[in-house]
Amino acid sequence: MQKAPRTSPWRPLLLLMLVLALVATACGGDDDESTETTAAGGEADTETTTTQAAAETGGEIVIAIGSEPSTLDPHLRDDGGERAVNDNIYETLLARDSQGQLEPSLATSLPTQVDDTTWEVTIRDGVSFTNGNPLDAAAVVASFERLTGLGDESEQSGFFGSIASVEAVDDMTVRFTTDGPDPILPAKLYWLKVIDASEVAEGFDENPVGTGPYQFVSWDRGSSVVLERNPNYWGDAPAIDKVTFRFIEESGTRLSGLLSGEFDLITNLSPDDAGVAPKAESVVGLEHPIMILSTIDGPTADPKVRQAMNYAIDKQALADALYGGAAAVDQCQILSSTVFGFNPDLAPYEYDPDKARQLIAEAGAEGVTIEVVGESGRWLKDRELIEAVANYWAEVGLNPDVQIFEFGEYLNRLFDRETRAAAIFVSSSNDLLDPSRQLGTYYSPEGIGSSNQDPEMLDWVTQAAVETDTAVREDLYHQATARACDDAYFAFLLNIEDSYGTSERLVWQPRVDARLLVKEMSLGG
Amino acid sequence: MGRFALQRVLQGLVVIVGVTIVVFVVTRLIGDPVALMLPLEATAEERAAFAGALGLDEPIIVQFFEFVRGAVRLDFGESLWQGRPAFEIILEVLPRTVMLVLAGLGLAFVLAVPVGIFAARRPGSWVDRSLVGGSLLGLSVPQFWLGLMLILLFGVTLKWLPTSGSGTFLHLVLPALTLALPAFGRLTMMVRSSMIDELHAAYIETARAKGMPEWRTVFVHAFRNASNPVATLTGWELIRAIAGYSVVVETVFAWPGIGFMAIQAIQQQDLILLQAIVFVVAVIVVIVNLALDFVYKLIDPRIQFV
Repeated sequence: MQKAPRTSPWRPLLLLMLVLALVATACGGDDDESTETTAAGGEADTETTTTQAAAETGGEIVIAIGSEPSTLDPHLRDDGGERAVNDNIYETLLARDSQGQLEPSLATSLPTQVDDTTWEVTIRDGVSFTNGNPLDAAAVVASFERLTGLGDESEQSGFFGSIASVEAVDDMTVRFTTDGPDPILPAKLYWLKVIDASEVAEGFDENPVGTGPYQFVSWDRGSSVVLERNPNYWGDAPAIDKVTFRFIEESGTRLSGLLSGEFDLITNLSPDDAGVAPKAESVVGLEHPIMILSTIDGPTADPKVRQAMNYAIDKQALADALYGGAAAVDQCQILSSTVFGFNPDLAPYEYDPDKARQLIAEAGAEGVTIEVVGESGRWLKDRELIEAVANYWAEVGLNPDVQIFEFGEYLNRLFDRETRAAAIFVSSSNDLLDPSRQLGTYYSPEGIGSSNQDPEMLDWVTQAAVETDTAVREDLYHQATARACDDAYFAFLLNIEDSYGTSERLVWQPRVDARLLVKEMSLGG
Repeated sequence: MGRFALQRVLQGLVVIVGVTIVVFVVTRLIGDPVALMLPLEATAEERAAFAGALGLDEPIIVQFFEFVRGAVRLDFGESLWQGRPAFEIILEVLPRTVMLVLAGLGLAFVLAVPVGIFAARRPGSWVDRSLVGGSLLGLSVPQFWLGLMLILLFGVTLKWLPTSGSGTFLHLVLPALTLALPAFGRLTMMVRSSMIDELHAAYIETARAKGMPEWRTVFVHAFRNASNPVATLTGWELIRAIAGYSVVVETVFAWPGIGFMAIQAIQQQDLILLQAIVFVVAVIVVIVNLALDFVYKLIDPRIQFV
C-alpha cells in the first residue's frame, strides 16, 4: 500500500547542482558560520537547541514526508501521510518491537485464545486519552464499533471483516469473537488504532484524541501538522518536545531542506542521494518487486524455462547498481525476513547464465518471445529494473518483449485472470507483516494477481488463512513458499530497503514496520 | 458590444463543457478507478464494496449527469483522499496559486517593459545584445531546473531563504522568481520586437520632427501601439502559469496551490478532486480569455468586435 517515491527525472541535474553547491560551500570557508546563524525559514528555535550539544531530551524536530495526511481520523483512510502522523497520536492494543515481533502496547500482554474463534485482551491500567477520559474495555469496544459502523466509508474495514463482535467482559477485559478461525487477529490488533469514540462528533481533523505519546497542536492544510509531547503519557516520556511534519512531494526538495538544516528527517531517500545526506539510514523493507511467471500456458508453462529465468538474473548486481546497495536479494519468496511465515530454508537462485542457457536448450525454448508486462513510475526504479531483468533474459537466449503500460491499463492486465502474460512485473508489499493477504493475492491460484493453477498451493494458502495453531500455520506457509521457489512461479528479485535521510543531530533507528515513531527519536551529537 | 460579449460567453461555456466531458471520460476509461484506488492486495469483496460506496458501479452516463448536476451548484463531491468537499480544498489552495502567479508575472511584467523598451531603442548595440541574450537564457531555462538551482543557491548554500513551503513573504521569493524568469524572457523579447517595429513607423518620425519630447514619443505613442501583442502574451502567460507552470513550480517548492494539489490528486488516485480541479482551472482560463478580449478593446478602441 505504501507507495515508493516516484523516481524523478530531474535527479541527474539536481545531483550535478548539488556537487556545484557543495563545492561553492567548501570554497566559502569561514563565511559558513555567519550564514548559519542567519538561516531563514523560521527555524530559529531549533538552531538554539543545536548549540546545546549536551541536551539529550527536549528540542523540536521537523520531519518531511512525501504527502499530506488524508485525515487525522485514523479509521477512515489508509495512506503514508496519514500513518506517519497518526502513529504518534494514537496507539494500538499491540505494537511491534524493532525486529517486527508483536508486543503488548495498550494491552498488558498478547491476546489469549479462549477457543478457535474467541480471543481475550486485558487493557493496560492507568491510561487516559489526551482529553482526560480513561481508557478501559468499554472505550476499546466503542472505538472498534465506531470503525465497523463506518462500513464501506472506511478503507480499513476490509482488514477487520472477520471480527463478528467485540464486547467488554469486565472493566479491563475485551473479548473478540471472529466468524471463523482467524490467526491474523493479533496482527489486526496491531493495526487497529484506539480513539476516544465520544469525540467523534467533534471531528478528528480538528480534534484528534488518542492515548499516544504526542498530541495535536495544529494543522496548516497543505503545509504542516504540529504535534507536542503528551505530558500525561503512560509510557516512558519521549525526548522530543515538539514535532512538525511537512509535506513535500519532490524528493529533491526534501533533500534540499535536509541539507539546509530545515529538516531533521526525510522519508524515501533516493538511493542516488544516500551519499549526499548528512546521515542515511536504511532498514529491511516490505516491498518485493517480482516477475509473476505464467505456469498456465505459453513458453513459461515449462518449469525449466521459469527456473532458467531465475538463474539468468544477477540479483546482487541489480541491488548494487540500481539501489546503491539498499536492497537485499529475495530469499526465493516475497516475504521479508521480518514477516511471519518467512521460510529460512530457501535460498536465492544463483546467478548462473550457463545453467540458464542449458535449461532453455533442454526445454527447446531458444529464442522464444517472452511477453513482459510492466509500468513506470509507481515504484522506486521500476522501469529500470524491468528493463535490466529483460536484458538478462535476452542474454541467455530468450526474446523478451517489454510492454510498459500506463498504470490503469497495467492494473487491468495484472488483474486479468483469463489471459496471463508470460511475465508480469509487480511490487508486493505487506503492511500487516502477515503473509495472508500477500500470498492470497499472488500465490493462491484464486488470487487476482497469480499465474498458477496449483491445487496444493490453493489448499495450503486457504488453510493457513484460518489455521490458528501458529506452528501448523507456519508450516503451511513454508510448504507454499518452497513450492513457489522450487517450481519458479516467480522470477524473484529484490527486497527494497526503506531509506531515510537524517540530520547529524537526530538519533534514531528506522523500524522494520516503516513506522515513524517520534517517541523513539532524540537529539544528540 | 453586447452581442459580442454574449457570443464569447457562450463560446466559453462550450469549452468548459467539452473539457468536463474529456476529463470525466478519460479519468474513468484510462483504468478501473477502483483498482487504482485500492491497495493491490485488496480482496474482490473489498473492491465490490468500495465501488458501490462511491457510485462507481453506476453506468458512466449516470455518473456524468450526477457530476454536472453537482458542478453547477459548485458541489463536486467529496475528495476520496481527504474525505471533505473537493471545492472546499480548491478554495483553500486557489488563493495561494493566485498570489504566486500575480507576484511572479507582476515582477516579470514590471521588469520586461522597461528592459524591452530600452533594448528596442538601440537595436544591435551591445546593451541590446546582452539584454536579448539574458532574455533568451531566461526563456530557455527549464523551470524545474531553475527552481532547484535557486533552492540550492539561496536555500542550501547561502541559507538566505527557506528551501520550500509557504506562509511568509520569504517563502514566496524563490517560487515567484522561478515563475517570473522565463516569462520575463518572453515578455522582454515581445516588447522589444513590437517596439522596434513601432519606433520605425512614420508617425514616430513625424512626432520627433515636430519636437515632441522623446519620453512621450516612446512611452505614450509608440508603446501604446506596441502593447497589443504584449497584452496577448501577458494573457497567455497568465493562463500558462495557472494551468501549467504552477504544477512544476509548486511541486518543486512544496507551495500548496492548485498545481501542487493536482499532483497530489493524481498521486492519491483521487479522481473526484482531480476532475474538480480541472473543471475550475478550465473556468478560470475561459474567464481570463474573456477579460483579455475587453483589454484589447481598451488598448485599441479601433478594434471592432464581430
